[in-house]
Amino acid sequence: MRIMRQEYRVDRLHLAFVSIMAALVLWYLFDARSVSLSINNLLLVQPLAIATLVLYLFIVPQCFHRADAVPEPEAPAIDDPLQPKLPEGRALVRVALLGVALGVFVFTLTTLGFDVGILLFALATMLICGERRPLPLALYPLAVTVVAVYGFRALMPYPMVTALL
Amino acid sequence: MIDMDALMGAFGIMATSAGSWGWIVPGLIVGLVFSAIPGVSITMAMAIVLPMSLYMDFFSAIVFLTSVYTGAGFGGSVPAILMNIPGSPSSYATTFDGYAMSKKGQHNEALGYALFASTICGIFGYLLLLVVVEPLADIVLKIGPLEMFAVAIWGMLLIGSLGSKYISRGLFAAAFGLLLGGVGMNTAGFIRGTMGMPSLLDGISPIPAMIGLLASGQLLTLAGKDYIIEAEGSRTVSLSRILSGCWQTFRHPGVLVRGSVIGIVIGAVPGVGSSLGNLIAYAETKRTSKDPSSFGKGNPKGVIAAESAVASAEGGSMATMLALGIPGGGATAILLAAFMMHNIVPGPQFIETQKEMVYAIILNNIVQAIVLLFVGIGFIYVASNIVRVRTRYILPAILVIATMGTYAVEGSISGPITLFVFSLIGFLLVKFDYPVAAVVVGLLLGRMLETEFLRSYQLSGGDPTYLFERPGAMTIFGIMLFSMAMTAWGKRKQVLAEEAESAAMEALARQASVPEAEPGIKAGASGRH
Repeated sequence: MRIMRQEYRVDRLHLAFVSIMAALVLWYLFDARSVSLSINNLLLVQPLAIATLVLYLFIVPQCFHRADAVPEPEAPAIDDPLQPKLPEGRALVRVALLGVALGVFVFTLTTLGFDVGILLFALATMLICGERRPLPLALYPLAVTVVAVYGFRALMPYPMVTALL
Repeated sequence: MIDMDALMGAFGIMATSAGSWGWIVPGLIVGLVFSAIPGVSITMAMAIVLPMSLYMDFFSAIVFLTSVYTGAGFGGSVPAILMNIPGSPSSYATTFDGYAMSKKGQHNEALGYALFASTICGIFGYLLLLVVVEPLADIVLKIGPLEMFAVAIWGMLLIGSLGSKYISRGLFAAAFGLLLGGVGMNTAGFIRGTMGMPSLLDGISPIPAMIGLLASGQLLTLAGKDYIIEAEGSRTVSLSRILSGCWQTFRHPGVLVRGSVIGIVIGAVPGVGSSLGNLIAYAETKRTSKDPSSFGKGNPKGVIAAESAVASAEGGSMATMLALGIPGGGATAILLAAFMMHNIVPGPQFIETQKEMVYAIILNNIVQAIVLLFVGIGFIYVASNIVRVRTRYILPAILVIATMGTYAVEGSISGPITLFVFSLIGFLLVKFDYPVAAVVVGLLLGRMLETEFLRSYQLSGGDPTYLFERPGAMTIFGIMLFSMAMTAWGKRKQVLAEEAESAAMEALARQASVPEAEPGIKAGASGRH
């Protein structure tokens, strides 16, 4: 992107993320104001929301990097537990797939039943993480399902919808 | 200094809650195992087991969770010493001399030093807490809503400003967390931010949100790897040499005391915690040593200093949490959530009215530190193999437990959905260098902060000069502004130093490349000097 005769690289993902957060804050502020303009309602919410939006203005420039700037030193490998970083390439696809699998698992739990849901999720996770041997794929998700269903049934007083167990 | 009646009452609680004793060893093992696996942090471990504690009585739940916390303090040092990989950020300084000792074949002694320093200083931290609780209770009782508000704001600012490389992102995360914590009906009866969902009237359920932010969001990143770490093979473990290391720890009492004091003080400050305490204790021990050049080459004092600070920081952070209800970081935030789950709010009222329970919690932590000595030795034998866990086995199990745990909180699917939403938020927060702990603590403190602010407003009748009638609040605000200015100045100095260093490196590189490319120019330049 070119601004004032200077070429910039834009970290679009970060910009989108922080903008969505700021939009949520703005919506929250308007929602609170639409409920009541009483000071008992807005005492903390209004100044805090405004402060958050001001901070957003400080963060936005951090999403723009001069194209001719010296690149920052290479970030540490993901093995470093002190400085985790997002994996790249195929590893990133795995992460995205696992995120989708978690979403599908959560939203279909009550439809499929907890037992079937857990079994399919454990199986999908193993496949995403690279397991291809049939025996572990057959046995390990089954073990996770049985332990989770019977363990949590013994632990909590709430009913759990199951299809088989 | 110690309220003897309350102390006797605490022994009574411990004697009558026999079931709670049974949770010490499982808690320690969970803490040791999780913290020994790099990438799986102590806060993740505590977040995942938190829903299980919902079905225990209050004392057992706290015993279980604090045992996890205690175990994790030492667990991270095992891979740090054996493989040069800190299991948790708080074990970072342990790698400096621990791994160097390991390379010299002294890993058993190093483990002994670490274990005994953890045990002794863990006990020391809690003994100190036992003594200061009584005077602390007298002080905190004088704290009014304005002082509580000031302390909470200070804590949030510290957590926000210290948790990230960028102050603006840290403060943004803290403010966002506080706003999330205020969703639902406030103390004055106004309903905001619920999007018409009745389940949000009481606010965002903190436990699924915390598990999502602290655990599953960060576990997703592990999917890209076959092994959590590619570690070296295990080393031979010798009990007699570990015990010899334990015994030799006594030869360095000054290091133990210095590390403990630094750990307690740093641990008590919200947002700092043991991950910084171990580095400061290490640096201080090295600075005051007669032989600083031996540090980093296998000096046992380095291991003792780092581990003593980690273990004693737990007592410091518990003091802040119990006395003020302000969690110092992710782990104590989970403890605070456990208190809230049992309808108990830590803070001035709790410490005054439930002194027996406070003493019982402290005494139990001392017991945990002693038990750790035995469980820790057994754990060393298996630890070097635990770190070689394939993600394909660990991820399905942990994610299923985390999801089921959030369902177990209320028996509703809203728990797992909250977990999923906050997993994505947590994942993105980590990716873009925002401190997740600031959002979590904000989420927990948002309601309290607003309530105390409202009370202060009502007491003052809206008159801002009321602040001048409260010297305590003025002092806290003064210290807050000073510490913020110091933090900003320190970070600015660091940035300038880094810039100067990189400029100097560039100049050096340029100078080095000149004679190869244009020898004539260099010769001419030298001739002019």
